[in-house]
Amino acid sequence: MKKLLIVSLSIILILSVSTSCKKKVEEVPPPPPAPQAQEQPKVEKVEEPALKEPVLTEEEIFQKKTLEEINQEKPLSMIFFDYDRYEIRSDAVPVLEANAQWLKNHPTVKILIEGHCDERGTEEYNLALGEKRAKSTMDYLVSLGISPDRMRIISYGKSQPLDPGHDENAWAKNRRAQFLIIEK
Amino acid sequence: MRKKQTLSGLFVAFLLIIALLTPAGSQQEVVLTIREGVPAISLAVPPFIYDASVSQAKEAAETIHKVLQADLNYSRVFSLVPQEHLSYIRPLNPKEIFFKDWESIQTRILVVGEITQAREKIVFEAKIYDVKSERMILGKRYQAEPEAFRLVAHRLADELLKIYGERPYFTTKIVFVSSRDGNDELYMMDYDGANQTRLTFNKWRDYMPAWSPDQRAIVFTSYRAGNPDLIILYPYEGKMVPVSTKGTNFSGAFSPDGKKLAFCSTRDGNAEIYVARADGTNIQRVTYNSAIDTAPSWSPTGREIAFTSDRTGFPQIYLMGAEGGNVRKVSFGGNYLDSPGWSPDGERIVFVSRVNNFFDLYLLNLKTNQITKLTETKSRNESPSWSPDGRHLVFSSNLSGSIQIYSVDYDGSNLRVLTSQGENKLPNWTN
Repeated sequence: MKKLLIVSLSIILILSVSTSCKKKVEEVPPPPPAPQAQEQPKVEKVEEPALKEPVLTEEEIFQKKTLEEINQEKPLSMIFFDYDRYEIRSDAVPVLEANAQWLKNHPTVKILIEGHCDERGTEEYNLALGEKRAKSTMDYLVSLGISPDRMRIISYGKSQPLDPGHDENAWAKNRRAQFLIIEK
Repeated sequence: MRKKQTLSGLFVAFLLIIALLTPAGSQQEVVLTIREGVPAISLAVPPFIYDASVSQAKEAAETIHKVLQADLNYSRVFSLVPQEHLSYIRPLNPKEIFFKDWESIQTRILVVGEITQAREKIVFEAKIYDVKSERMILGKRYQAEPEAFRLVAHRLADELLKIYGERPYFTTKIVFVSSRDGNDELYMMDYDGANQTRLTFNKWRDYMPAWSPDQRAIVFTSYRAGNPDLIILYPYEGKMVPVSTKGTNFSGAFSPDGKKLAFCSTRDGNAEIYVARADGTNIQRVTYNSAIDTAPSWSPTGREIAFTSDRTGFPQIYLMGAEGGNVRKVSFGGNYLDSPGWSPDGERIVFVSRVNNFFDLYLLNLKTNQITKLTETKSRNESPSWSPDGRHLVFSSNLSGSIQIYSVDYDGSNLRVLTSQGENKLPNWTN
């Protein structure tokens, strides 16, 4: 009997030891989880919905531009004059006709006509001559149907040469009337 | 010499009487003749005395001495006794002047100058002696800071001119246009090119300035408002008054009595001449012609105006009454003439003539109807303006390549350049 008790106790002990051993294994904390790549937020493309541009009219294209941009394009060509003269030369007539046509196509535009001279005139006389050149240019445009209300004139005499040279080639370029768009 | 002096004095007095007796409205001009050919007055300016222990005394003595001599040399009224002749006589002792010594080296006028000090300030004391009579004829004391030492010399030179009945001008200024700061602005300078001072500050073109006779006002053209407007600037008051702002307005000229202002304008559609009050009010048109009428210049009496007109097809010089009557052409022989300037003595008109692309200055003598060429430089000499005494002219020229301001005497001698920075043009000394 005593022997049986010892055996049973031993079994219990073994069992208890074995159970306790098992339990201990189970209690080991799990290894830290393998570092996992964090998920990136999805890239969202941000843009205004595209407009389908309508075909612009010439007038609409014109109105989109600034005065500076329009002047840079030089839609109105300058004309040139003979030495000491302010009459419109025959080669200036088609230029002024084209300018008049452009002005008719852009009826809201107002322009400044600048009269310039070459350096072979005196300061005072050139200032008056430059004005005469601007005036005869304006008068010719009026004769082609452009309202004088749309034009202003100014003379710069010889103070703003186009070509700084001192030969006939430069002088011919400097005797001119040129156009500046001042209102559209 | 002395007798000539008295005679010319009498002559001037006689002319003044004539002027008083001449009925108003007459076109006759009063003529004050420049005594051409009369020997200049011999004058000695020994080095000025100074106490070397006084600070700035040496600088004052040397600057004032140098500038005074330059003024007197320029005047054509005085001739300086050469400094080397001073070594022939006993050194100057201001306490005891040996006048016979000075007479022996042909000195008629002796200028004795001394730098002293009063209350820590530099004082320049000048005594002017008539050598023959051994008498002091003028004494002056000037106190100045170093920046005004040149002005002290000019003031004394003006006093010397006044003694001899001459119109003083060494303290007057020349107004002009310079591009040195990027665009055309008004500047002024002394007659000798010193003290160049900017007067207008903007990015637009300021152009064609002209003094009032008292040099308190400048009429000029400015593009600052987008149009060539005529403006009067009062540089000592910091004030500006617009005169004419419609059309192109330019070539302003105050009358010699300072009461009226002539200018050119296209305000009625064509380049015409107008006359206003000196303050710019009451504008009256005086020319009526479809041609270009421009560049008005007053006669010394203010009764007549010289101007440029191309009514015959090319610009020529005309005269008219100040109200626009009695127009007549006075130029001949050139086909492009402009910029008339009536001399202060009333006798001559300077103008620019273009021949073969060169501009030269010419003088028309209104009494003899003779034309003489004043410059000959194969360049563009233009915009002439008389000195107040009529012995000198300033003008612009591209003689050196760039456009600069020059001075020349009435006989074509003594050409000198006054400017060098940037381009400089349109000088005006008197209208």
